Amino acid sequence: MASAVGEAVTAPSGRATVAWRGRPRGNPWRRPWVMEGFTWLYIIWSIVPIAIAVLFSFNKGASQATWQGFSTKWYIGNSVNSVLHNPSLHQAVIQTLNLAVLTTLITVPIGVGFAIGIDRWRSRTSTGLNFVMIFSFVIPELLLAVGLFLLVTQALTFIRLGTTAEVAGLVVWNISWPAIIVRARLVTIGRTYEEAATDLGASRLGAIRRVLIPLLMPAIFASAVLVFASTVDDFVIVEQLSSTAPTQPMSVLIYSNVHGGLSGPALNALATIMLFFSLVVAVVGFVAYRWMTRGERTKSSSAALTSIAGM
Amino acid sequence: MAGGNVRLESLTKQFDDVTAVDDISIEIQAGEFFSLLGPSGCGKTTTLRMVAGFEPPTSGKILLDGVDVGNWPPHRRNVNTVFQSYALFPFLTVAENVAFGMKYKSVPKSEINTQVAEALALVQLSGYEKRRPNQLSGGQQQRVALARALVLRPSVLLLDEPLGALDAKLRRTLQVELGALQKQVGITFMYVTHDQEEALTMSDRLAVMNRGRIAQLGTPDEVYNEPADAYVADFLGVSNLMDARVEPGGNGGGPCRVRLGDFVLEAAAGQLDATGAVKVAIRPERINLHPYEAGGANRVPGMVERLVFLGSTTQIFVRLATGSALQTLVRNDGAALPYSQGTPVSVGLPADSLRVLPDPGVSVAEIRDKTLGDQLLDLTSTTSS
Amino acid sequence: MGRSQDTHDRRNRWLWMGLAAPGAIWLLVLFVAPFYVMMAVAAGGVNEFFQTAVPTWNPLHWSSANLSAVWHDMVGSGAFLGPPALRTLLYSASATVISLAIAYPVAYFVSRYAGRRKTLFLILLIAPFWVSYMMRMLAWIDLLQQGGFFNSALSFVGLPGHTDWLGGKSATVVLGLVYGYIPYLILVLYAGLDRIDQSLLEAARDLGLSKWRTFWRVTVPLSKPTIIAGTFITVLPMLGDYFTNQLLSGAAGTTMIGNAIEGQLESPGETGQGAVLALMLLLILLIPMIYYAVSTARASREFA
Repeated sequence: MASAVGEAVTAPSGRATVAWRGRPRGNPWRRPWVMEGFTWLYIIWSIVPIAIAVLFSFNKGASQATWQGFSTKWYIGNSVNSVLHNPSLHQAVIQTLNLAVLTTLITVPIGVGFAIGIDRWRSRTSTGLNFVMIFSFVIPELLLAVGLFLLVTQALTFIRLGTTAEVAGLVVWNISWPAIIVRARLVTIGRTYEEAATDLGASRLGAIRRVLIPLLMPAIFASAVLVFASTVDDFVIVEQLSSTAPTQPMSVLIYSNVHGGLSGPALNALATIMLFFSLVVAVVGFVAYRWMTRGERTKSSSAALTSIAGM
Repeated sequence: MAGGNVRLESLTKQFDDVTAVDDISIEIQAGEFFSLLGPSGCGKTTTLRMVAGFEPPTSGKILLDGVDVGNWPPHRRNVNTVFQSYALFPFLTVAENVAFGMKYKSVPKSEINTQVAEALALVQLSGYEKRRPNQLSGGQQQRVALARALVLRPSVLLLDEPLGALDAKLRRTLQVELGALQKQVGITFMYVTHDQEEALTMSDRLAVMNRGRIAQLGTPDEVYNEPADAYVADFLGVSNLMDARVEPGGNGGGPCRVRLGDFVLEAAAGQLDATGAVKVAIRPERINLHPYEAGGANRVPGMVERLVFLGSTTQIFVRLATGSALQTLVRNDGAALPYSQGTPVSVGLPADSLRVLPDPGVSVAEIRDKTLGDQLLDLTSTTSS
Repeated sequence: MGRSQDTHDRRNRWLWMGLAAPGAIWLLVLFVAPFYVMMAVAAGGVNEFFQTAVPTWNPLHWSSANLSAVWHDMVGSGAFLGPPALRTLLYSASATVISLAIAYPVAYFVSRYAGRRKTLFLILLIAPFWVSYMMRMLAWIDLLQQGGFFNSALSFVGLPGHTDWLGGKSATVVLGLVYGYIPYLILVLYAGLDRIDQSLLEAARDLGLSKWRTFWRVTVPLSKPTIIAGTFITVLPMLGDYFTNQLLSGAAGTTMIGNAIEGQLESPGETGQGAVLALMLLLILLIPMIYYAVSTARASREFA
């Protein structure tokens, strides 16, 4: 029954039927091929270069561009230039791990305490502190690094440049991760569980210890994993606050050697090791997270992301 | 543990500019099942939370077995709460949940398992020890919450609308179970709900609350059949409230004479010495329908507007000649009904069922803020056996 | 319920303050204090002999010598700070726009159409997070080298394949910025789009809007706060970027303001000016940062 688009179609009986815009063009339930294709293109563009870089860390030759065969010489083989044997490369790996572990161990507890305390301490001061924390999340790292550098060299000179200063700076830079993630989860959990705990006989502190912390464990873990990965990757603050070679982690070493210096694939090898560390921690964290939340599979797991997204 | 007497004296709670609980005084006897009934916002939950200890009172006293616990923190009161959302700890098993509070009672480890098992048996969940809360249905979670509270043998158990999240049939079953359970353990229950059927079914006594104050306190029978004012009358079931005026001239100690429109009727219940504008109420099950021509006392002509089949009863909506709309109920006992839509009838309002209530100062329409569905629910519930 | 929690919390103030104290102290000493030191150095003098900065702690004695030097460098004769500043804006703006153009469709697709494969896509999208920035840049360095894949691919299809992509090209730097910052943007957009209630869109379709109209008149407005938040998270850190340029270019023609700050800080005698520049950047960023902080703080409270 032909009809102009927009005209009510009248059946022979005279009453208007439901289809009044004419036949729909195309299949309204068709898959969005264009968007899907675009997404895959992005994913390929995003991951393939990394895969190639990892690949080249196993390059037999010294080039980062032409493939010359498979070899692990950059990791363990070459007695001079491999990560295992080259002292500066070696030290850098250790330093990265060192910084990551120390920073995570410090940042997570004080970040969690901060989140809980700020959430419940309703005053101007706490709102102000919360703002400061959010600033630290969104500020360019360079500005903080410069400030810290000046602080350490001009004011608090008893903290000398080096690992201590690096860790101190990294903690400040990363404190927003547990603060935001745990806070978001806290808001979702609400007060009822703690009330139930105090009702059953626990003191305030006891309720936090026996009920709130276990409920927060997934968020605590997630933030620990993020802090770890972020520290492994960190470069700006560490570079500013480092002093001698042993205090330079992998990220700094790569940066300073990119335009010459150590041969290319060695840098790729370092970067791949960094990737490996982060990945291991991420997988462990993910598995732990799923295991811990096996009692509750709800949408609230995206609460942290949503709060960062400002919605 | 004997005891469980709760006395609230002039209890008030103010939040900034809002008075949530306004000078209420109640005495709950040990072992009583006491309900606080009212719509949301009437202050019943706040009252409960003050007794539990989550809220410090602004003024007034809370006495548990004679001891003023108003400012004690919750963990020091021998009172336990069953929350509306159950608040079972998701990272613990059922047994661990139930055993949670026992740590603070210095119960030896060997005893814990036995008592947990007893508590679970009490709520008919034996064998569920190793399950996790997210594996349980709503009703089961409710029972675990009960067990968790009861295992600590409190003097008073506080229940905050515990059946609110369950479907109607399950709610009915659990209402009966809860009532039986309370009699079995002999603990004072303080129960908060907005569902008048629950309150009427389970309570020994109840308090109907309105905007922070107690409208009426009494047994279910008293509150339903002898409501103190129009608010209480209308909150508990259908009340068929009508505006009326007391006839001048007094009644000489006998029934009150009230004028409804063009008709004067006798009312023998309620506030018989009232004067001026009043409300009158009559329960649907007390109204009689007679053929139009039949005479008799306390009759008003009317017309049947609508018949609604409810299964065991039929609900009949009648419009009086005065303009008021009434509901009445007739049992479906097999005989055909002698009227249908449009039939003129004579509506009998027996004097001893016609109740005079003081005018609360608001119109009938404002009191009657319930939807048709609520009214239906009220009817079916108050007539269910 | 909110009000009752307030009376509750006030009783336990000390507990909450105690829990927040270590973090608060750390933030105050190592985040807020450094900026005061920065100001003292910016308004301070120079040790003539060692050419090191001498901070002036007392605000009453602050000098504007460094400030005028920087101002001169920006707008006076022989000004050399102008171009990096402009380039910073240009690069950041282009990188952000390109990132949004890529990120939004991807986030939209994964949040609304991915169905059962959502987890798979999410993992693939989150993966770059775990790959350090260094490695991601290294990857492109490898590819864009003279003998690298990119040039080989170009010559394969007949286009000239000898360009020195790493020798100072703006395009390369912008690409690097996009590549480096886009994972954050995608995740933020995803979270926001995922949160949009499907029934709102269905209601719009039901009321007669076509797919396109629904998108423009319902989805986009609903996702506006997310787009803004995502833009902030991307642009603000980008404005202080200096290492992308260093890694992918290294030439003077593509420097950003971050490079200028860094350069001056390390030049003897010019530390103070570097501090001034850093503070100027901070000042410009302060308003957007405050805006972001306020809206985030409000959102996380409303989420309850």
